[in-house]
Amino acid sequence: MATRTQNTRANHKWGMVIDLDRCSGCQACVIACQAENNIPLNDQSAFLDGRAIEWIRVERYWEGDYPDIKARFLPVLCQHCDNAPCESVCPVYATYHNNEGLNVQVYNRCVGTRFCGNNCPYHARLFNYWEPVWPEELRNQLNPDVTVRTRGIMEKCTFCIQRIRRSTRGGKQVEDQAFNPACVQACPTDAMTFGNLNDPDSRVSRKWEDERAYRVLEGLGTNPSVKYLKQVDAHA
Amino acid sequence: MALTRRQFLKWAGVTGIGAVVFNGCRVPDHEIQVQSPVEMPEDLVTGRDNYYATAAQLGMASEGLLVRVMEGRAKKIEGNPDHPVNTGKHGIRAESLLQALYHPDRIKLPLLRIAKGGPFLDIGWDEAINHLATTISDRRPDEVLLATPLLRGRVADVVQTFAEGSGIRLQGFDALGCESVVREALRRLYGQNTQPDFDIAHANYILNFGADFLGTWVNPTHYSRGYGEFRQGDGRSRGRLVHVGARYSTTAAAADHWVYATPGSEGLLAMSIAYTLIAEGTADSSAASALTGGQGARALAAFAPEQVAAQTGVDAQVITELAHELADSHNRPALVIGGGPAGAQANGLFNMMAVYSLNALVDSVNRSGGLIFNPEPISGRIRTTSLRDWKQTLDDMRSGDISAVLVREADLAYGLPGALDARGALRNVDTIVSFSSFLDETSELADLIIPCSTPLEEWGTDEPNPGPGYTTVGFQQPAVNPFHDTLSFGDVLLQTSSQLGLPGLPWENMREAVRALAQDLHSRGRGSVVQPTFAEFWKRTLERGGWWDTGATADGSRPALPTLPSRAPSVTAADPQRYPFHLVPFEGIGIGAGQYAHLPWAQSAPDPITSAAWDSWVELNPHTAEEMGLKNNDVVIVESATGRTIRVPLYINPATPPNVASVPLGQGHRAFTSYAARRGANLLDILEPVEETETGAFAWGATRVRISGTNQRRVVPKLEGIEPARQLHGEELIYVHKA
Repeated sequence: MATRTQNTRANHKWGMVIDLDRCSGCQACVIACQAENNIPLNDQSAFLDGRAIEWIRVERYWEGDYPDIKARFLPVLCQHCDNAPCESVCPVYATYHNNEGLNVQVYNRCVGTRFCGNNCPYHARLFNYWEPVWPEELRNQLNPDVTVRTRGIMEKCTFCIQRIRRSTRGGKQVEDQAFNPACVQACPTDAMTFGNLNDPDSRVSRKWEDERAYRVLEGLGTNPSVKYLKQVDAHA
Repeated sequence: MALTRRQFLKWAGVTGIGAVVFNGCRVPDHEIQVQSPVEMPEDLVTGRDNYYATAAQLGMASEGLLVRVMEGRAKKIEGNPDHPVNTGKHGIRAESLLQALYHPDRIKLPLLRIAKGGPFLDIGWDEAINHLATTISDRRPDEVLLATPLLRGRVADVVQTFAEGSGIRLQGFDALGCESVVREALRRLYGQNTQPDFDIAHANYILNFGADFLGTWVNPTHYSRGYGEFRQGDGRSRGRLVHVGARYSTTAAAADHWVYATPGSEGLLAMSIAYTLIAEGTADSSAASALTGGQGARALAAFAPEQVAAQTGVDAQVITELAHELADSHNRPALVIGGGPAGAQANGLFNMMAVYSLNALVDSVNRSGGLIFNPEPISGRIRTTSLRDWKQTLDDMRSGDISAVLVREADLAYGLPGALDARGALRNVDTIVSFSSFLDETSELADLIIPCSTPLEEWGTDEPNPGPGYTTVGFQQPAVNPFHDTLSFGDVLLQTSSQLGLPGLPWENMREAVRALAQDLHSRGRGSVVQPTFAEFWKRTLERGGWWDTGATADGSRPALPTLPSRAPSVTAADPQRYPFHLVPFEGIGIGAGQYAHLPWAQSAPDPITSAAWDSWVELNPHTAEEMGLKNNDVVIVESATGRTIRVPLYINPATPPNVASVPLGQGHRAFTSYAARRGANLLDILEPVEETETGAFAWGATRVRISGTNQRRVVPKLEGIEPARQLHGEELIYVHKA
């Protein structure tokens, strides 16, 4: 029973490419992710305490000074590294790498040591300092496919594994773009592309080889499953 | 003794046996996989989901949506890939409609207040409709005002027919006057009554004056669809975007070149570019002749780059370069856009006429990559009432000429400039009826509250404005049953109309009204859904989320271009010595100008530039702040010439020009649910009620302010650390491809 998925899913290797030249930093991906994944409401105190939970966040960096100044955006999510620094430090195997290239978090194993968050160079892992609370009516919006995480455990982007599971149930091969994670689905500029890197004809595979492609903090050797396409700087 | 896992780990760790245990007991892969978070055991059955296509009007924006419903509950909203405006994508406000539906502070049933200031009592629907009908029938029609947002589609038809039939006044309310100046400029220039589409996807060059079209302006999701293609679409070269504006907005950040121009001088800059194009012979000759009354460049000599450089704050050389870029054949088609604060000035119409006339000079009118005219809508549209008319309306409330006010999500008490004291005027009104789902500031003053449903519970249609260049009718169907005992606004008016015996509204409910429109569309026998029977047409149209006809475009005819003025209109502003800062208001990325402040996702969406959320703040240049002895998070007093003030914490924004103070709109509600109330400051409170000279529209970008420190501090809630994040040279996180 336990090994039924071992071989049938082996031909998927999920990956993402984010084109920074298309990204406008509009935050649609951030809120779409929160809606899909039952992320606790980030109220004002969550921001003030530095404990807002965003599985994908849009970092903004400045270059230069006024008037020759430029803001650049970088959407940051779990990079699903092939050599993930978070996995090797978990004492209870709550995080591991599955055979589809996903860095998976098993919530009911996590004991909240936060070693993984400490070791993630992308700050993509977030800790539940409090029990998530929704007003009773708002609980109606919760996605039944996604576990509500309790206080004391780590969480992070899963590439919307619930959508992957629904689409590949029974081990079937899915067509390219048959489904997308919530962030990719929402992105109004089509800056994000998701798909199967084992399929050389998939959109994500084609973009993976783009001359503008790079990995964030590539020198660390984490080998992420997320690549970014460089923003293009035309002459000012 | 019971041993918990935690205790075991502690024990294993301190005895050293753990090393042996863990080394010898590697968890088998299959065991981990079985316990992955969403792989349900076989005895658990996941629910079945249904997707309903619907449509929603979100301020000026329109999005076709798919709603995922499980067990009768809406779970997720996504864009409808079929809908021509957003083609499968959606923004924060569409996502947040779920929270409007399941909001804990929704008004659940009709409420009546027996005496002014007294408590609300629960009443039944029959009693509520009776009260509403009596409120109208007991008065002269012109004593009753109905104020709504800028509604479109079938509900607008019902509202307009209701107002005409009963004779009551009808006024459209939008806190910012929502681009009425842009519309008037386009009407005068090109004879268009409906806003054209911008073909961003096929433009090679965009010159944008003020409009934050990728963030908050008009329909950002639609424009963003085009922007992605503009940048990196297949089979085309990368487009170039230049943004002119006083605040470094989302669109400014996306631009290849950001040009600061003094607020209010955008028209001068555009005229100067027009002058250069005409003088150098690079403009379309017939357009140049028409716009100058046949006189050519000398008619615009007052706008030569050297003449306007000082006023605009833009070097003459930069102006000339912008004109050259616009004229460059490699940059064709070129598109010129304007709006937002550039139009919200006392000389806003001059600015917008100048800006949009550039499209004619570069031959980008009603053609691919330029302005695309839209056909006239099938259904009605409620237009913005100008600030000039709102001032008169408030006077009528004070004098008793208006004795009943009916409001549907038109929060006059919050959204009109504070100096007009709309709250005081409303207090003078005998009866206020609110159709709101939430207790906003105006509803707080109401005598009768008729709670209307939210978009996911209603029947209706929406014709986007702007549309995609052809007739588009999004169909809105209830994705779920009403969550509370509510009716849609249209249904309330239809029931009241029936009681009052008004003509022109034969339908029992909004579903019938929508079906009547669908029958008209079916009889055309063309468009995206063509079926032999109406039953099949109805089913297919609801499945697809609407009906659109790519062949139903504008006829393209337009009147002769008007002659542009040879001098800029003079405007007066507050004394720059006393009020040294241009105040540049901007809408929140989620909460807009406050109409979405009750939705927690809209509140928690960080502002893209500052990463701040849930509060108000003022942005100042670092050097300006240093000269004033101010630091991040210092509470400052922002005072306008109205004498009114707000107190907000400081955010030092390195992209803010030295003489500019930017403050977000949308916070500072006294009511409007627990997520909006008593949070930040209402910037509208201090804005001067300046009118655009010709149209009377609200010139909300024309206020000057002074800023003084206090000895208080309040941390701005935001995602980034206290200091702005900067790229490190040599260890970039964001690499750049030099083109």
